[in-house]
Amino acid sequence: MQQTKWLLLGSSLGALALLATAALQENVFREWRRIQAEAHAADAPIPVHLRQVVNTSLGIADRCVSCHVAMGPGDQEVAGPGMAAHPPVVHDPGEYGCTTCHGGQGRATDKADAHGTVPFWPGPMLPRGMSEAGCGTCHTAIAVPQMEGLRRARVAFTRLDCLSCHRVDGRGGTLRPDLGGMQGPDLSRVGTGGYDSKWYDSHLKKSSAPGPWRSAFGSISESDRALLATYLATRVAAPRLVEAKSVFHATGCLGCHKVSGVGGDDGPDLTRAGEKDPGRADFAAVSGPRTLAGWFDEHVRAPAAVVAGSLMPAPPVSAAEVEALTFYTLSLRRRDIAGSYLPRDRMRVARFGEREFTSDGATLFGAFCSGCHGRAGQGHRSPGLPTFPSVANPDFLAVAPDALIAETIRRGRPGRRMRAWGDGSTGLRDEDVPVLVSHLRSLAGVPAPVVDPQPPRWVNGDRAEGERLFSMICAGCHGARGEGGEGLALNNPVLQQFATDTYFVETISRGRRGTAMAAFTEPAPTRPTLSRQEIESIVTFIRTWGVTP
Amino acid sequence: MRRDGAPALGQFAHNLREAPRRLREAAVRGGRPTTDRTRSTFVFNNVFLHLHAVRTHRWSLRWTTTAGLGIASVAAFLITLVTGILLMFYYKPYPDVAYDSMKDIHFVVPTGRFVRNLHRWAANVMVVAVILHMARTFYTAAYRAPREFNWLVGMALLVTTLGLSFTGYLLPWDQLAYWAITIGANIAQSPREVTDALGVTQAFDPGGLQRLLLLGSDTVGEEALIRFYLLHVILLPLIAGMLMAVHIWRIRKDGGLAKPPDVDARLGDPPPATYPVFTEAPTKTYHLAAIVRGRTPAVGGGPENTVPSMPHLFYAEAAVLMLTLLICMALSLVSDAPLKELANPLVPENPAKAPWYFLGLQELVAFSAFMGGIGIPTIVLVGLGLIPFLDREQAGTGVWFGGPGGWPLVRNSIAVGFAAALILESFAIQFGWLREWVPGIPQLVITAVNPGTVLTFVYAAYSLWLVRLFNSARAGALGLFTCFLCGFVVLTVIGTYFRGPNWQFYWSPADWPVH
Repeated sequence: MQQTKWLLLGSSLGALALLATAALQENVFREWRRIQAEAHAADAPIPVHLRQVVNTSLGIADRCVSCHVAMGPGDQEVAGPGMAAHPPVVHDPGEYGCTTCHGGQGRATDKADAHGTVPFWPGPMLPRGMSEAGCGTCHTAIAVPQMEGLRRARVAFTRLDCLSCHRVDGRGGTLRPDLGGMQGPDLSRVGTGGYDSKWYDSHLKKSSAPGPWRSAFGSISESDRALLATYLATRVAAPRLVEAKSVFHATGCLGCHKVSGVGGDDGPDLTRAGEKDPGRADFAAVSGPRTLAGWFDEHVRAPAAVVAGSLMPAPPVSAAEVEALTFYTLSLRRRDIAGSYLPRDRMRVARFGEREFTSDGATLFGAFCSGCHGRAGQGHRSPGLPTFPSVANPDFLAVAPDALIAETIRRGRPGRRMRAWGDGSTGLRDEDVPVLVSHLRSLAGVPAPVVDPQPPRWVNGDRAEGERLFSMICAGCHGARGEGGEGLALNNPVLQQFATDTYFVETISRGRRGTAMAAFTEPAPTRPTLSRQEIESIVTFIRTWGVTP
Repeated sequence: MRRDGAPALGQFAHNLREAPRRLREAAVRGGRPTTDRTRSTFVFNNVFLHLHAVRTHRWSLRWTTTAGLGIASVAAFLITLVTGILLMFYYKPYPDVAYDSMKDIHFVVPTGRFVRNLHRWAANVMVVAVILHMARTFYTAAYRAPREFNWLVGMALLVTTLGLSFTGYLLPWDQLAYWAITIGANIAQSPREVTDALGVTQAFDPGGLQRLLLLGSDTVGEEALIRFYLLHVILLPLIAGMLMAVHIWRIRKDGGLAKPPDVDARLGDPPPATYPVFTEAPTKTYHLAAIVRGRTPAVGGGPENTVPSMPHLFYAEAAVLMLTLLICMALSLVSDAPLKELANPLVPENPAKAPWYFLGLQELVAFSAFMGGIGIPTIVLVGLGLIPFLDREQAGTGVWFGGPGGWPLVRNSIAVGFAAALILESFAIQFGWLREWVPGIPQLVITAVNPGTVLTFVYAAYSLWLVRLFNSARAGALGLFTCFLCGFVVLTVIGTYFRGPNWQFYWSPADWPVH
């Protein structure tokens, strides 16, 4: 009885003490309370209470402003240790909240939880310097050309001295009294808001009258105007993200990955790759920081090391380009938002068929083809993967008619990694194919071969002799049944259907410079020289694998 | 009532002065509980207290008799009740909104995190306490006549407790909750394994019906959430509360806790500090004893070794209550209740694990869904329910490990129970099971012969052998119960700590493949 009483007293006191501890811990010793207690506005302390930005249309309740008080609506003048107002941005943080752009856990009130660097919070904050990736939560930049195209457009804008009057992304537009410069409209957002399409005429008109315009503006060539249009279309107040996207459009990732329904399907869909949960990523092979950005960085550098069994060729890109690809991938995120908040650019892509890339040949090739065929079409070798052919090889372009290249793009190579791009599921349109073909020709500077007077099938050589020669000379690279190996597959039905006999004969005769395929009509000490008749016999044998048209 | 001759106003003033005293008397009828008699009155005049007997045997008050486990279960239930009501102020039972409200409770509601932790820890403590309480009851042979019915009520309470815990698991609406309930619902569906094998699922599908009743839909969604919420906050607590009242009241009706026949000799004389017996001459005789059938406390024994429940028993109960609260609070301060990311039906957790007390079953489900989810639990429950009707012996009642064999038998059974479970599990993990050896084997064979059923068979055979060896049903029951307890521990530990993605065996979660 006495023991029981003591036990009751002890446990009751203990429970009371723990209750007090919990109450103090949860209500008094919170970090945000301390921060607010140290802050002041106009030399008067601010009331200490939980602050938040709530926007039900965006589905947020962001309590970030409980610590970052000065970033909250109407609290810009609050000062305190480590406190700063939000830099001016397009979207008012008081309306759009914090996590919409920056990621993180808005409902949390502890630093680690709020910044999302805890287990089981799938969307940690975007890294410093990559905040623009948050734009991708709602927006998408339209008509972004590949890297080189964007660079040329940017250079044109600078070269034509537009910056002397206009301000873009925080540069230019300063008044230059000695030169009679003037302040033009800020063009940082014209890609979303649009601009006067007749600006050139009105500029010219103004410059024809006497005044400061006369010395400030002169005529601009049509090609330069096209470059300016390209540049202005990409001004969406997210210059670094657009730069990153242009790198993405030069690296050919869409050859295997889909983004918003555009691209191949060899690799995973990247539409929401930026939302990948770092808690589910394998960091075993990642040497850098164990963040999603670190994972993407390492994955671009060595795909197969990070994802076991990956068939992705490592793109030959610079360190800066790796960072750009990571940056862009982080921007691939989506949020279910109310229709009133759905931005125009996303609508234009989703409903009106506008594209996120420009439709010029270089960008199409860069976005879809360069991942495997190389940025200059030089082909690509990756350890453990079959050779990706050099499509810009001058010897190939000299003998391949446009129809063969176009049909190869449309129908692909069944059974190989070259998929059929004309099947309507890739986002590559039929009108893009001739653009791509002419881009290939421009890469090597080789025009299409003159129209072949021969019918598609004309060789009639000795089949048995051809087989003997093939197994002796060709099978080493092309496989005994033409199934390919080091060399290309010759038994591929699309090749057999659309390549003419002339194409085969010419290719064997001329070879392909820079590859193991030699010109077999020219004598060499290391291999037999083939006569025209022998070549025709070989082609006759090769033709036995194809269907007769 | 008006006193004659007194002025009404004076009467009013008098009544007003007397009101506090009368209020006290109205609340505590029978006077202040200072004498044995008023203490008894205090107990049996109170609807809650009179679930207890007015006097408690000294045997029942020893810590070694019960370890306070039953009261600890009640205490944990009361803690979950209070914290649960607090949580209901903020919780919104609708998908996604539910998750947001959990975040609010965690981060913004004053002391919300602590209250939620307390709720979660008390729920777990309750499951553990209930299981241990059942073990205590079994090992002291307290289920024997006349307590068979109370044993069954206790089993119903065990099932209700698990149900309460399980239904609460879904409410946070995070990944953990979503996939644990998905697993649970699939276990409910497991009779399909048999109906599928027999090819009669189209016509007769009890598994699918069971799952549909549980979820109200084909998948875990808002219907399931509302269902689980309703079960969790209204239906099951009501059932549990009523069953508890019956359970405690039956103790009194069955003559207090089970005691060995020679209890007085074992206890010796009461210590001098014990309150004196009958400080006031009894005003009633035991007339009632003549008309009440069965063994009421005073029949066939004097009041010598009993003490008034008020205060002896109530101090002990209060101490256990506060101790349980203290333990739950300490755990709540040390460890936060988990809250994973928002439930996403498109991203299955791998491994998706049920709550820990079902992981033993899930381990068996991995071999055969029907046997693990329905067959073996039913066998175990029916077996437990039959125990008091099969064991009609008297030896060892009220004594730990009482009965033929005693502690050595239990010790050996622990060895057998652990060994059999470990060997079978190791074998199945190392070499696979029938499906791996004979790919085309019919499902019904696997349903009948799998590690779970083999383990059950081994335990049953061992227990029958014990019955023969000791010529006693109690010895067999001791062996069987011990074995099943050990098997439960082994399977639960393996399911909790050593199963990774695709239910593969891993020594440590660090070895789990990612992706």
